[in-house]
Amino acid sequence: MITFTKVSKQYVDQTPALHGVSLKIPTGDFVSIVGQSGAGKSTLLKLLSAEEKPTQGNIVIDGWDITKIKNWQVPYLRRQIGVVFQDFKLLPKRTAFENVAFAMEVGGALPKDIRKAVPQILKLVNLLDKSDTYPNEMSGGERQRISIARALAYKPQILLADEPTGNLDALNSWDIVQLLMKINKLGTTVLLATHNDDIVNALKKRVVTLNQGKVVSDQEAGTYKL
Amino acid sequence: MIGISFARVLRNALRNFRRNVWLSIATTVIMTLTLLTISFLYAVNVLGVHVLSTIEQKVDIAVIFKDKTTPAQIQTIKKDIELRSDVESTRLITADQAREDFRRRHADDPYIEEALRELEVNPLPSSMFIIAKDPRFYETINSSLQSEKYAAFIDKVNFQNSKAVIEKMIRIMDVVKNAGLIITATFSLLVILIMFNTIRLAIYSFREEIDIMRLVGASRWYIQGPFLVESVLVAVMSVILSTSILYFSLHTMAPQINQFFFAGQNANFDIYQYFVDHWLQAIGIQFGAAVLLAVVSSYIAVRRYLR
Ligand SMILES: Nc1ncnc2c1ncn2[C@@H]1O[C@H](COP(=O)(O)OP(=O)(O)OP(=O)(O)O)[C@@H](O)[C@H]1O
Ligand SMILES: [Mg+2]
Repeated sequence: MITFTKVSKQYVDQTPALHGVSLKIPTGDFVSIVGQSGAGKSTLLKLLSAEEKPTQGNIVIDGWDITKIKNWQVPYLRRQIGVVFQDFKLLPKRTAFENVAFAMEVGGALPKDIRKAVPQILKLVNLLDKSDTYPNEMSGGERQRISIARALAYKPQILLADEPTGNLDALNSWDIVQLLMKINKLGTTVLLATHNDDIVNALKKRVVTLNQGKVVSDQEAGTYKL
Repeated sequence: MIGISFARVLRNALRNFRRNVWLSIATTVIMTLTLLTISFLYAVNVLGVHVLSTIEQKVDIAVIFKDKTTPAQIQTIKKDIELRSDVESTRLITADQAREDFRRRHADDPYIEEALRELEVNPLPSSMFIIAKDPRFYETINSSLQSEKYAAFIDKVNFQNSKAVIEKMIRIMDVVKNAGLIITATFSLLVILIMFNTIRLAIYSFREEIDIMRLVGASRWYIQGPFLVESVLVAVMSVILSTSILYFSLHTMAPQINQFFFAGQNANFDIYQYFVDHWLQAIGIQFGAAVLLAVVSSYIAVRRYLR
């Protein structure tokens, strides 16, 4: 369970990026977060991964109040939360396998565990045959799947996807969304920030709409409407 | 888990070193030079202290009596001198004693033994050593020994104005030490600057990777460790290099160095032997200085560019 209680976030003195946001997201939920550019979608996700800290309010993840998280605790939080971005953020000089292994190495996994787990994760994202391929030899959709595979390296409770389909065509986008659904079915809470109305409408999942930092609608099986 | 993460930090440190290998080598060279100047300073200090103490021990006046001076006359002069308020003590070596000493020292040389026996008269003179209460008094003791009063009995007064020598030594050592300190300070600053830049460049070339490390939950140690460890590796390599250079140059040059500092003082001090006996201290000083420089510069770089 993720709980936002009256959360505000103000970057340097301007209108707040988030303003009095209260949300409850039960474990295993799939939530799309929509809104115009600058509405505060990315900010909401960054607060969860502790890239930013809220100016006001409280954020609690499974009983852990991360509102005033200490710097040294952030790595532990990050290992429970997978993150995926529009620009993939893969290491170009490493193969698909190595990119996923990288995340496990950082967490101190043993080489034999890495050798065992990475193929399983690559299989989950349907890219086992691309193990030894470098990112620049892959399509955008494939790259995004590798980045999702990396996000899954720690078997996170929560997956944050910030416009993961932003750089992809419709077909590839749909592939990625299918994958996110599959991961969600396996028990991971998924938060998807997106502009893509077709996807949101087809998902028939919960939709939270932000406007100028405020939650303006929150519907189960919602649709994209601005 | 601690072990494997340390192995990875070490691996990344080595990779950092290789990424900017020429800069890393330059850092190692400058660090080695710094350690060598520090060692040089240390050696000069050790040598200086030993030279001074041998000179100080040696300060005395040696009076050589004429052959015809009788033992009674010698005793009178001895009493006379001992009464002086500036004299600490005297030591008389009669001609007979001198011969005995000489014999004993060349006991295993049959030719000398024979030569002495063949000589009817003792070729060695009686002599007397005078030690003053303070080195400053030697001048006056010397001049009174040179006076008319003793001219008939004393052949020669051996007195080297050691006070001047000592003062000159101290002055030279001060100059060397100051120059050494300035050179050390300059090199140290250079080391910090170059190392800081090496680490900064390494951080820059791995920034993408570092961002992703953060993203996937790398600990601070995992991210910063390689840069600190890299700098400590440079420090360790520099210590090994400079110690080897020090060892081999002392090994080959010790006779000349000893000769230069202790010429004609029959002091049994050997700078090479000193280094061998005090190796732990010699390496420890270098290691301390190297690690200090390394940690300071990499810590500043990491603080500044890895926040
Ligand atoms: N690091 C930052 N410093 C200052 N202001 C920021 C920062 N990040 C975001 N903002 C501002 O906060 C507001 C919300 O930004 P945010 O990135 O959360 O919007 P978004 O909904 O993700 O937009 P988009 O759809 O374009 O990605 C914007 O006005 C933005 O300019
Ligand atoms: Mg955004």
